[in-house]
Amino acid sequence: MNFRIPILKLRDTLIVSIQWELDDQTAIQFQEDLLNKLHETSARGVVIDLTSVDFIDSFIAKVLGDVISMSSLMGARVVITGIQPAVAITLIELGIRLEDVMTALDLENGLDKLQLELEA
Amino acid sequence: MSNQSSVEILTEWDIVAARQLGRNVAKELGFGTVDQARITTAISELARNIYLYAGQGRIEIQRLTENGVKGILIIAADNGPGIPDIRKVMEDGFSTSGGLGAGLPGVKRLMDEFRIETILGEGTDIRATKWLR
Amino acid sequence: MNKQIASYIENNSTEIISKWQELMKNEESERSFQVMPADLMDQTSREFSDLLVTNLLDNHEAYENRLADFAEKVVRLGWSITFVTKAITHYVEVVYHGMENAGIINEENVRAFVEEFSNWVTPIRDSTIDTYSKTWERTVSLQKIALQELSASLIPVFDKISVMPLVGTIDTERAKLIMENLLEGVVKHRAEVVLLDITGVPVVDTMVAHHIIQAADAVRLVGAKCMLVGIRPEIAQTIVTLGINLNEFTTTSTLQRGVEQALAWTNREIVEVEEQ
Repeated sequence: MNFRIPILKLRDTLIVSIQWELDDQTAIQFQEDLLNKLHETSARGVVIDLTSVDFIDSFIAKVLGDVISMSSLMGARVVITGIQPAVAITLIELGIRLEDVMTALDLENGLDKLQLELEA
Repeated sequence: MSNQSSVEILTEWDIVAARQLGRNVAKELGFGTVDQARITTAISELARNIYLYAGQGRIEIQRLTENGVKGILIIAADNGPGIPDIRKVMEDGFSTSGGLGAGLPGVKRLMDEFRIETILGEGTDIRATKWLR
Repeated sequence: MNKQIASYIENNSTEIISKWQELMKNEESERSFQVMPADLMDQTSREFSDLLVTNLLDNHEAYENRLADFAEKVVRLGWSITFVTKAITHYVEVVYHGMENAGIINEENVRAFVEEFSNWVTPIRDSTIDTYSKTWERTVSLQKIALQELSASLIPVFDKISVMPLVGTIDTERAKLIMENLLEGVVKHRAEVVLLDITGVPVVDTMVAHHIIQAADAVRLVGAKCMLVGIRPEIAQTIVTLGINLNEFTTTSTLQRGVEQALAWTNREIVEVEEQ
């Protein structure tokens, strides 16, 4: 029994809001679903909102990092939004820097940044 | 309420159970959101190590009081193969599981005290403590 | 016997105090006593003497209250604990020799008196040290709180731009607090750019730089940009000499230039308005 994270499409952008604690299976399922959706819709951007996520361990971080690289291979830019201060501090202390990841304060800012990036 | 509680780590789901237990205890002890995230993450890393390397083991959470200061102790114990070279796993960037290589040095940074005992062929016992500031 | 000691002290207090003051002035290590104004010294000496006598007269509660008051007072005056212990020793010496010379203590009762003196003075020493250490502990914990309060807050200066001035030495404990305040502030004020001003940080060594880099990384993760401003020439020298890599960072020498850069990043600028 696995939850599936809903992936919404808004024009040429996919929007994902993660609302509950990610277990390993859900995270991997999400990776697969997102890549399939990218393939189906040929969206050019993805916003993943983590406002409700209160911790990320190295496994979830790796899945996220992989999703970003894989999406980029498929021609889509990913913005991560709403990382909570506690989550950011924990990631940095763990030694996970998530370099080259586009981030924004919230969903709205994220969509703006993505728009700028796609126009450039 | 008892001072200790534990979760047997047998499946991936037990990792979730262990960190939820840890988060609840941390919250009850009065840790702030950042420390709660540190503690939860440390438990998740330790539980995953057990699941990946030892196959099975146990995460134990203890409430501590020392000189009037409260704290939380995480014990991660398994009867797995043990760690051949502790110095190596405590180096940043070392990982054999294909993770990001955060592992034990990361856990050490997240917590205040960290101790590891391992015997080849017998198992590993890791104790990590965080004190309420 | 207690009463004998007490009445001897009461009858000869002026003489005892002046002899005791002489002994204390010779304690070279303690300048505070030498520079103390005469009237304050007389008053303090008398209080000290009264305190010791109170203890003789078997009223422990009164004694403890007075001791606490007195200890706080001498802590404020800056007397060291070594000095206070010496003060007690010298005082007892003066009284003992005085009573010996007056013939109150003689060969027959000397043993009993020595024991009596010891019973008198030991609890005083113990509780003085105890009071001192409690006062210190309280002072230390108050200072710790004061330091934490001093520890950096994020100040919004323009829409989307905030500044965090860092003042004083940064240790690991403070670095953690700074990082938490910084990130909570960024999210709360919805800052897109934060300027970390290190003008007030006396030394930037590898560890401090490491903490700053971590803070900037974390700021990036929550979705804002971090700039390091207030880099003085000597700080620039140490950073390069130590081989610390701040290349991924935007850094400037002054807060003013930092603010200009931050405005540019958020597509704004400051323009002069022509007078009407």
